[in-house]
Amino acid sequence: MGASSLIVLICAAVAFSAGGIAIAKFMVKGTKNTAKGEAYECGIPAKGTPWDQFNVGYYLFALIFLIFDVELIFLYPWAVVVKSIGWPAFVEIVIFMFILFMGFLYAHKKGALKWM
Amino acid sequence: MIPQIFQTVPIEHFVYLSAVLFVIGVVGVLTRSNAIIIFMSVELMLNAVNLLLVSFSSYHQDPAGQIFVFFIMAVAAAEVAVGLAIITMIYRNTHSVDINDMSRLKG
Amino acid sequence: MMVLIILTAAGILAMFASVFNGRSVVLPVSLSGLFAAGYFALLEWNTNTTYFEAMRMDNFAIAFTVVCLFAAFVFLLLYHYMHYSSDVHYAEVISIILFSLAGVVVMVSFTSMLMLFLGIEILSLSLYILAGLKKKDLLSNEASLKYLLMGAFATGFLLFGIAMLYGATGSFMLSDIAYYLGLHKAVAEPFIVTGIIMLMIGLLFKVAAAPFHFWTPDVYQGAPTLVTGYMATVGKVAAFAALVRVFQLGFSPALETYQFLFAAVAVTTMFIGNITALYQKSVKRMLAYSSISHAGYMLIALMAANEVTNGAVLFYSIAYTLASLLAFAVVAILQQKSGSDEVSVFNGLSKSSPLMSITFAVAMLSLAGIPPTAGFFAKFYVFSAAISDGWVWITVLAIINSFISVYYYFAPVIASYMKKGNEEGIVLATPVKVLLAIIALLTLLIGLLPGSLSYLI
Repeated sequence: MGASSLIVLICAAVAFSAGGIAIAKFMVKGTKNTAKGEAYECGIPAKGTPWDQFNVGYYLFALIFLIFDVELIFLYPWAVVVKSIGWPAFVEIVIFMFILFMGFLYAHKKGALKWM
Repeated sequence: MIPQIFQTVPIEHFVYLSAVLFVIGVVGVLTRSNAIIIFMSVELMLNAVNLLLVSFSSYHQDPAGQIFVFFIMAVAAAEVAVGLAIITMIYRNTHSVDINDMSRLKG
Repeated sequence: MMVLIILTAAGILAMFASVFNGRSVVLPVSLSGLFAAGYFALLEWNTNTTYFEAMRMDNFAIAFTVVCLFAAFVFLLLYHYMHYSSDVHYAEVISIILFSLAGVVVMVSFTSMLMLFLGIEILSLSLYILAGLKKKDLLSNEASLKYLLMGAFATGFLLFGIAMLYGATGSFMLSDIAYYLGLHKAVAEPFIVTGIIMLMIGLLFKVAAAPFHFWTPDVYQGAPTLVTGYMATVGKVAAFAALVRVFQLGFSPALETYQFLFAAVAVTTMFIGNITALYQKSVKRMLAYSSISHAGYMLIALMAANEVTNGAVLFYSIAYTLASLLAFAVVAILQQKSGSDEVSVFNGLSKSSPLMSITFAVAMLSLAGIPPTAGFFAKFYVFSAAISDGWVWITVLAIINSFISVYYYFAPVIASYMKKGNEEGIVLATPVKVLLAIIALLTLLIGLLPGSLSYLI
């Protein structure tokens, strides 16, 4: 993967997303309706502003995120050497992720991720 | 593996910088009274060590130092998670995170 | 390696037992985990198996692993019989204990600084949580926060020391560091000096030696009593084993140079621990200061640095662990009954529970170092190791300290036999009785037949 393939990749990404929007603009006949602006089948309607204070109980989310976010740091050195080590490296990282998943499962079962 | 450009800076400079950062952390721990700020100072100490390890790693052309940094970061995150949980627990009971308020244990 | 896997797996199982309403399987799972771990550890006796150049299960490591597993076994049983129905976090506590033991195994068997750091952190993080077990109790909260802040602070020093040594030698392996120190006669290089001193500060914090002991009394008093017992035995013994290992495998060429520092630390630790312990009203706080002074005695063995050091340290650790477990178990039971940890709760104990008063007396005799208990021979081996290396003055000071300590160790014993108190009988579960009796008998047995134990490693 050189710099040229990266440029091709970026161009393809831009073309793909911009193309979709352009085709929609071109083909859809516009009708104005307030219901269209709502989050139809995309979760519950939003309430209040995003800057509201929220329940301190969510600190558990923060802690769990913190742990799992940083644990993934070990994937970086693993990714560097995985090709030269081969399958044993894959098995080891699966074990590592499994242990992490155990922690996540425990947090979930304990209700730490419940919506308040 | 490690860019040669870093090696043009003498190793002493890195050592001085991280020693200064470390001392700032130590002074923060010893003088501040807010538990969270003390905790931040401890993190500063750990990051001073990280900097030191990375620069030595570059100096020795040896990746082991960088791997050690990964471990320090992961362990520091675990420590922060436990620490913040403890601080939250205390805040719920006393509505304060000032360590000067905590002097019930005396002998 | 098998030991680590078993302990971790048992910990995870215990953790999940709480979510799936399996409280009753927690104890069997964890105890069989402990026994399997002990079995696999002993299987590697005399093999010196090395794992990934990071851990080596030599006899030193195995002996200390087994001592800590035994302490954890006692803790688990006592915890089960005292808190099974009252503590909602019963399963979690046991799983954290098992995880902390994984840290202990790493901590006593490392050959690389990385593993030293990881082991210490795994153990310490577990202990921070355990210290704060009583979530609504302000004392427990305070203990846990103080322990966390001071522990993390000490870790910073430890890491700075490791980084400096890495800078000087270019390796985290203890053998490489020792080779470098021996080859270059480099014990006086600035990086090395800073590194070793910082590392020493970090480790002395963990073993609670003066002048880095100030967190110990508060933490030991505030934490739940059984947890204090666990910290004072497993936490201290493992940290001490790590200290011995670092200096023997890594810094042996530099040990001569740093002996005077150890001497200073050992003497201050003994005097501060013993003299402050005289003024304590709380038995828990008294035992905390006593554990500080015992760190001082153990440092003497390390200072001697000859072939008997390992044996002396191991013997001392065993004697200290047994006696401390007994003492903290009795204090924990009494505290659960009366809600207080003052010396006065011992009044009339010989009437209300003869077994507890006798076992407590044995523990105190052993801690004070009076024959025929294990504590006497522990001190004897340590002092003879010191004298064989020419440290006579420090041995004299240590013996003076032993005499001082007799005074405060006997206060609760005298209270339990001489003073009148609540004579209502205290009912104990049979396994707890058996456990107390067995530990007391072991203390006496080792005291009567010290022979081979000290030459084990």
